[in-house]
Amino acid sequence: MRALAAVGRLALGLAVAAALWQGSILAFGIKPHLLPSLGAIGAEFMAAPQAYWHGFLRTLAETLIGFAAGALVGVFNGVVFFRAPVLRDMLLPIFVVSQTIPVIAFGALVVMWFGNTLLAKAVIAFYLTFFPVTVNTLLGLNSVDPKQVALLKSFGASDRQVMLRLQLPMALPQIFVALRLGASLSLIGAIVGEWFGDNTGIGVLLLLAMFNENVPALWAAIFVAAILGTGFYATVAWAERRIVFWGAEQ
Amino acid sequence: MNRAAARGVLGAVIFLGLWETLARGLSLPSYTLPAISEIIAAAWSSRVVLLKAAQYTAAEAFAGYAIGSAIGVGLAVLLSLVPPARSALMPALMAINSVPVAAYSPLVLLWFGIGMASKIVLVAMAVGFTVFLSALAGLDRVDRRSVDLMKSFGAGPLAILWRLRLPAALPLIAAGMRVSTVRSLIVAIVTEMLGAHAGLGWIIYQAVTQIDFVQVWAAILVASCISLAFFGAVGAIERRVIFWR
Repeated sequence: MRALAAVGRLALGLAVAAALWQGSILAFGIKPHLLPSLGAIGAEFMAAPQAYWHGFLRTLAETLIGFAAGALVGVFNGVVFFRAPVLRDMLLPIFVVSQTIPVIAFGALVVMWFGNTLLAKAVIAFYLTFFPVTVNTLLGLNSVDPKQVALLKSFGASDRQVMLRLQLPMALPQIFVALRLGASLSLIGAIVGEWFGDNTGIGVLLLLAMFNENVPALWAAIFVAAILGTGFYATVAWAERRIVFWGAEQ
Repeated sequence: MNRAAARGVLGAVIFLGLWETLARGLSLPSYTLPAISEIIAAAWSSRVVLLKAAQYTAAEAFAGYAIGSAIGVGLAVLLSLVPPARSALMPALMAINSVPVAAYSPLVLLWFGIGMASKIVLVAMAVGFTVFLSALAGLDRVDRRSVDLMKSFGAGPLAILWRLRLPAALPLIAAGMRVSTVRSLIVAIVTEMLGAHAGLGWIIYQAVTQIDFVQVWAAILVASCISLAFFGAVGAIERRVIFWR
């Protein structure tokens, strides 16, 4: 029932938004090159649904690969830094500085290194994801109560068992905060990566529509990006609620 | 602390040394990885062009950052004072925010042209949302009982906002603003890559099309320096203003 009510509210919200959109175009006489009608955007979409579908799948693949790799490497880094403070002190400042670099400027270089492939975009998405996950894993591991660790150790638990049974689960709420951030960032990385040259993908659709000054097509691509962005974020948030059932922070 | 700092310096020296020797030793071509010294030399020899571009990009980023921060905090305060407006506007705001900023860039370029205005708008938007969300979370964080206590002494909503909610929200607002520093430069540069007459992003784009990768690295070096300085400055102000943390 609650799921049904949520879907109902969502549908209502979308209907209100659509009515506002169309109403303001009529009421204020907004020019179509600024804000095209929903009908025009829909027509643009229906003219070539295949292109949008393929673009969606392509960008989804890049985002997912980059995100998954970033999450794995991030958690791994966090554990390594937690275990080896010397490494943490030596490497974390470099990581921090590397994140103040306008990463996306690297897009051009990454596309040069890896060629114009799916992998190149996934690498950019990876680069944007792994850092927040590393930092938050470390934060979460550090916040584990030492008394609990001592208790497990007094029962003869090995370091590995303490890590897997206590420290990592306790760090999960923090890790998921970073994963949600990474979900948004990896999609941006994938889209911008596509600007450096490709044939399919949401980024390509956006760029083509801009060069052709085709505003309805631009909006259609923005909507596809919105669906992908919300869907991915909602999936991560859903996984968070399922996995961290004892209540996440924030 | 000192030990950690020493290790950090050691790490940086090893990293830079490794980079330099790898690039020189394997004589990697510059499109793979130019040596650090080569990048610095290139940045120095084209310093006039780079500094001018850096000024342009920094102006866009700072203007957008200021506007975005003001709008973000203002909107959060407004919505926390008027709950009906909040429940009406939040879904629309979240929907707008669910689209990756990059997807709006082409549209904003078409709307505002390829001058400075389009970059300022996009930076303001990206910064605004980050600051807005953290400010709202901060304003909500206030202890219910403190509010009740102030009310029982006859404080109005504005007094509660000024004396209780805003100070309580400051650490989160500041955190949002600190994260936004880096983001403002990234958004400005990315938008410049799509279309501009000047700026670091434009230089990077030009250098890529001319396959001049040392120049790309030089521009990234300059951009990173601005971004680090901006991040450090906002962090320093934060430590001054929020002394109780």
